[in-house]
Amino acid sequence: MPDKPIPENDPIVTKSLAPHYVICMVVLMATLFWALWDEDFGQRPWKTFQHEWKSRYSAFLKTARTQSAQSQKEIENSPDYQKLKQDYEAASKSAESRINELRERLREVGAKILAVQDGPGHFTDRRAYVTAVTYDIETTASSSAKQGKQRDLDAYKAEPSTVEMPDGKVQTFKNFGELEEVYNDLKNERTQLSAELGELLKPVTEKKELMDSYLADHMVSLTSSQLLNLQNSVESLTPAIRQINVNEHAANLEREDSAQIVDRCESCHLGIREPVNLTAAAMSLPGKKPDEYARAFTSHPNRDLLRIHDSERFGCSPCHQGNGRATTSVEKAHGTYEHWLWPIFRAGNYEAGCQICHSADMVLVNNDVGWVIGEGKDLFRQRGCVGCHRYEGYDKEPEDLLSIAQEIKLLEQQKKDHLKQADDFMAQADKAATNEEANHLNDRAVALKVENSKVDLRIMQLDRTTKSLLQDMKKVGPNLKDVRLKLNKNWIPVWLKKPTDFRPTTKMPNFRLTDEQIRAISAFVWQSGLTDPPPKHKPGNAAHGKELFETRGCLACHSIGEGDQIEGGTFAANLTRVGEKANYDYLVRWVHNARERTRPYCPYEKKDIGPEDYKKKGVPFVFDLDHSKCPNDGHELQVQNMTVMPSLRLSETDAEDIASYLITLRKKSPSDYADASFMDDPQLKEQGKKWVRFFGCFGCHELSGLEDEGRIGTELTAEGSKPVERLDFALLTEVAERGGNEPIKDPEDLARLPEGPAKEPWYDHQGFFEHKLAEPNIWDQGKIFNDETEKLRMPNLHLTKEQIRALTTFLLGSQENPLPPSYQYKPLDYRKDIQEGWWVVKKYNCMGCHQLIPGQKTILMGLARYQDAQEQLPPKLLTEGARVDPQWLLRFLKNPALNDNDTNRNGIRSYLQVRMPTFSFSENELGKLVRFFQALSRQPFPYIPEEVPVLTAKETEMARSLFSSTAAPCLKCHATGDPVHDRTATAPNFLQARGRLKPDWMEQWMLDPQAISPGTSMPSGLFKRQDGHWVFSGPTPPSFQGYDKDHTKLLVDYILQLTAEEQRRVASGMGRSRAAVTPGPPVAAGSGGRGVSK
Amino acid sequence: MKTKTWVTILGMPVACGFVLLAGCGGKKEETAEQPAAAPAAAPTAAPVDPATVATVAGTVKFEGTAPAGAKIDMSQDPACKGTNTAEALLASGGHLANVFVYVKDGLGSRTFDVPKQPVTLDQSGCKYHPHMLGVMIGQEVKIVNSDPTTHNIHPQPKDNREWNESQPPQSAPLDKSFAREEILLPVKCNQHPWMKMYINVVKSPFYAVTDADGKFEIKGLPPGDYTLAFVHEKLGEKDEKVTLAAKDNKTVDETFKP
Repeated sequence: MPDKPIPENDPIVTKSLAPHYVICMVVLMATLFWALWDEDFGQRPWKTFQHEWKSRYSAFLKTARTQSAQSQKEIENSPDYQKLKQDYEAASKSAESRINELRERLREVGAKILAVQDGPGHFTDRRAYVTAVTYDIETTASSSAKQGKQRDLDAYKAEPSTVEMPDGKVQTFKNFGELEEVYNDLKNERTQLSAELGELLKPVTEKKELMDSYLADHMVSLTSSQLLNLQNSVESLTPAIRQINVNEHAANLEREDSAQIVDRCESCHLGIREPVNLTAAAMSLPGKKPDEYARAFTSHPNRDLLRIHDSERFGCSPCHQGNGRATTSVEKAHGTYEHWLWPIFRAGNYEAGCQICHSADMVLVNNDVGWVIGEGKDLFRQRGCVGCHRYEGYDKEPEDLLSIAQEIKLLEQQKKDHLKQADDFMAQADKAATNEEANHLNDRAVALKVENSKVDLRIMQLDRTTKSLLQDMKKVGPNLKDVRLKLNKNWIPVWLKKPTDFRPTTKMPNFRLTDEQIRAISAFVWQSGLTDPPPKHKPGNAAHGKELFETRGCLACHSIGEGDQIEGGTFAANLTRVGEKANYDYLVRWVHNARERTRPYCPYEKKDIGPEDYKKKGVPFVFDLDHSKCPNDGHELQVQNMTVMPSLRLSETDAEDIASYLITLRKKSPSDYADASFMDDPQLKEQGKKWVRFFGCFGCHELSGLEDEGRIGTELTAEGSKPVERLDFALLTEVAERGGNEPIKDPEDLARLPEGPAKEPWYDHQGFFEHKLAEPNIWDQGKIFNDETEKLRMPNLHLTKEQIRALTTFLLGSQENPLPPSYQYKPLDYRKDIQEGWWVVKKYNCMGCHQLIPGQKTILMGLARYQDAQEQLPPKLLTEGARVDPQWLLRFLKNPALNDNDTNRNGIRSYLQVRMPTFSFSENELGKLVRFFQALSRQPFPYIPEEVPVLTAKETEMARSLFSSTAAPCLKCHATGDPVHDRTATAPNFLQARGRLKPDWMEQWMLDPQAISPGTSMPSGLFKRQDGHWVFSGPTPPSFQGYDKDHTKLLVDYILQLTAEEQRRVASGMGRSRAAVTPGPPVAAGSGGRGVSK
Repeated sequence: MKTKTWVTILGMPVACGFVLLAGCGGKKEETAEQPAAAPAAAPTAAPVDPATVATVAGTVKFEGTAPAGAKIDMSQDPACKGTNTAEALLASGGHLANVFVYVKDGLGSRTFDVPKQPVTLDQSGCKYHPHMLGVMIGQEVKIVNSDPTTHNIHPQPKDNREWNESQPPQSAPLDKSFAREEILLPVKCNQHPWMKMYINVVKSPFYAVTDADGKFEIKGLPPGDYTLAFVHEKLGEKDEKVTLAAKDNKTVDETFKP
């Protein structure tokens, strides 16, 4: 066969697959390297963090150790430590020989016990046999078998046993009984020896503990050995995910009440819980600026918070958010990517996390002030956001009213059913076959009737609550039904144009109204107003009015002055130009009692009830809290203005004086305002009503015919957990996603942005809230409108940067709570009273005058007037619940004058010019406040006062000598009721102590008043500790010889039994003749009671 | 096959490896713009050389008519038998007393030993003596009650801790000190509302209080540029710059207006 010629292009010869293999190999190799890279870096960036951590932290600990060793040495060389050390050494030395002896004996006895008990035929063995046979005998049924076994057992017990003792001697015990006895004796001996050794060692160990705790207490950081332990553990660290598995129902993550928290944050944030304080600077490489690692390795900045919220229980993400399970990149873990709904809260908004569980707390932590989230809550409430936006927990009264009305309806129905059922039972009973059955049925009928009485009483209770709630309902803005009585007509359109032009700090937002809208709205408001004229008043003394205004406490809520000159609080209106807008007569009525309404409002008829309605029924036109039933239908009326402004119990003349002063506050004359008679045009009224409805003015103001309108805004309770797609960025979505190109152009609005003009992308909740609050109509940009009603309605609240940050924080934290109920702060015990109380406290701005949290600054404290006269400030209420009897507090809060007739004064601190006003709290709020103060001081409620022992004549004499001692001249500062003396008094009258003060508190107060009310005029150091008792620091008369009780207690008992007569006598004895001559006016709490025995 | 191919074949993964290694060779470390270790150029705290120290002295004048000292009504406590004129503004013959003068600035980071000797604050005649007191941080203030009545001493500081202690007649002196610098720290007695004085807590021993003739003198200052502050409780603060050479004797006068 001829060979076939090899084809020219034989693929086997000419073609090579090498390039393919090469490519494959390269790809495979690349994949391999990729996989390796991913293993350590790509998918596990936390490994790099842990490597870095290891080197940086151990370097840090090394330096810390040298410093610590040095300071430890210093402490160890200190005389105190040396003394402790000597004590320890002396103690251990003196006990040493006996301790060694005991130890030796114990060792011997131990060895003997071992010899006797262990080994074949020894005690343990034989005892087991005896026990087993005894059990066998007891369970054997036949008595002959029993006897047989008993014989065997006795024989066994009689057998001797030999034991080789530790000293090598062999000892023989003649029977089991002897062996047992010896064994038990040995055991007893060992117990005694151990007890003796323990007694001996106790003082030695105690001294050692003293030494160690002295060292630990005086070291700034950890001790050298503690640091060494840390260093060892960090050096043996192997890279691993650090995960917090919250154990709460962790076994079943699908359960509804499961916490579902698996946080791996600490895989990178390794220093968070370390026992030393790590800063970014300390964690940086030498000479370098803090980098991403250094910032990640810092310890938690607020250890106290971490202690309360144990990380093992809470993890990290419930407070901080972010994606706690993600480990593949920083962005993923922090949740700052588009597929994660809850990105981590950024700096400045951290406290949003608190709101998630603490939405019911107006004040977060009792001992802290200055929380951003707290400011956000306050702003949300004070600025009237809740007028348009529902938010659970805020402005609850209308909702509560509704639910109570429903409950009453249900109860009425229940009552009817009961009656019917009872009738049935009785009818059946009448026809019953037996007496027994008849009685049984009658009993059931009786039970139902009793039940109905309970229902009736419950309904009565609910009616009272309804009344309370009507009283508690407040509006942020003034009652606009009174505009005609109250305002300069021509001022209204000017105000509506831009409220901040007239009053830069007003709560009233700028609505961007067109001239047409302004005309219509002002016409509607004017024409729907009441026309009853307020009573006329004569002009007052403006100079006196000014003094009253500045001293009675008005400035705790109101401010005066503009710009830098502003003085006073921001809670209520700035009054710098009030004279341009207000009507004098109305102002007098307002100052005298702001709650006084022109006409009561009947929510049932939905109208304001006037004299004509009362006349028809033949009843006088009188309405107040005691006359609050509608003459037409008996329903509960709104008899007060819905304002939080209290009554200062001023006389009418004083009110006239203050109003006269206020009317002088103006920049131009009221007559300078352009004529606005168009407001009387009836055609404008309907149009105005439309706009008022559109803008939701009734959210903050009372307006005729619009009392029952609902809120116009969206509910914000869970605004922070809305998916970002549901936040309407309108045409700015693109701009927000890209970042840069800030859409807010108005310089004033631009200055409101907390972070300044946007540079980074801001398509998230924070960006939305901040932009919306800075310029609420920003999303109108680029749109074309056919009609004004298509534009965004939200007005500009003219907030500052800080305020927007606070509100944004508040809104970010407003979330549907993803955590199980056990994680949410909804306590049912005394802490609930605290929660509820803060709402009332904040509602009426109690903190404008009173300090309730140590360190909290009140508005009055900041006024120039009080800088040199701090004793003229209202009392601090840091321990109020422990100080006063809750029953007294209830009386006081109802009527702070503590007197029904003479009300133009303070009930307790008559020497203060600043006045505790009458807030006319409802029963509901009174209860909340009293419980709040008791709870805040952890006092039992109800309070049962302790019996005050009656002092003997001798004790009275002794107590009197303390009371009037030159070393503690009590009556020098405390008021006595003598007007001449009381001019310089700076403390309350002792006669008011009984029924008001709790004796325990009084004692504590005398011992260290500075620790109860820091800065008080009452000095410390009046008593000293001597032989386990509190003894007066000054000289005491000889009668105290041998008196071995607390002098403080004696004085307290004396004060609680003090009579007016006794007090006058003591005062006159102190060289103040006037006090003896002038009898003081009767004091509310002082009359009656036990006399002091003489 | 050509060598080039082989080089490519073997080289590629190696190159890949290098690229990868380079890629994961740790993050670039940011270099600090300023080394954190080097502290700001502080003036060297040279010890004061007693041979070169300078003195600054002067008079504080009051321009205009001084208001007559307000009368104090001490009748509320018969045990108070002091002079009944308030001390808030004491100016006789145009000289202003009770002005606190101290070196506010220019001493750099120098620290000074705290004198072991306490300064005394006496209460007699229901008045404080002195009315204007200077004390160094940490230095003891010994408070004495020479009156037959009880006083309470109540400092109301801004930057120090507040306290309020009772001191009966003939009781032991109170020893107190203040930890932080504070000028015009008011001290009062709550039982005698007119009793008021000021403690000035300073860092250096270079301070003085003007006497009845308005005169003051500060000795022992090392040469340098200083800011002298003149502080009066009612008239406020005035600052003067002064440069002292070695062994200088300079006069710095100051004038306050009502």
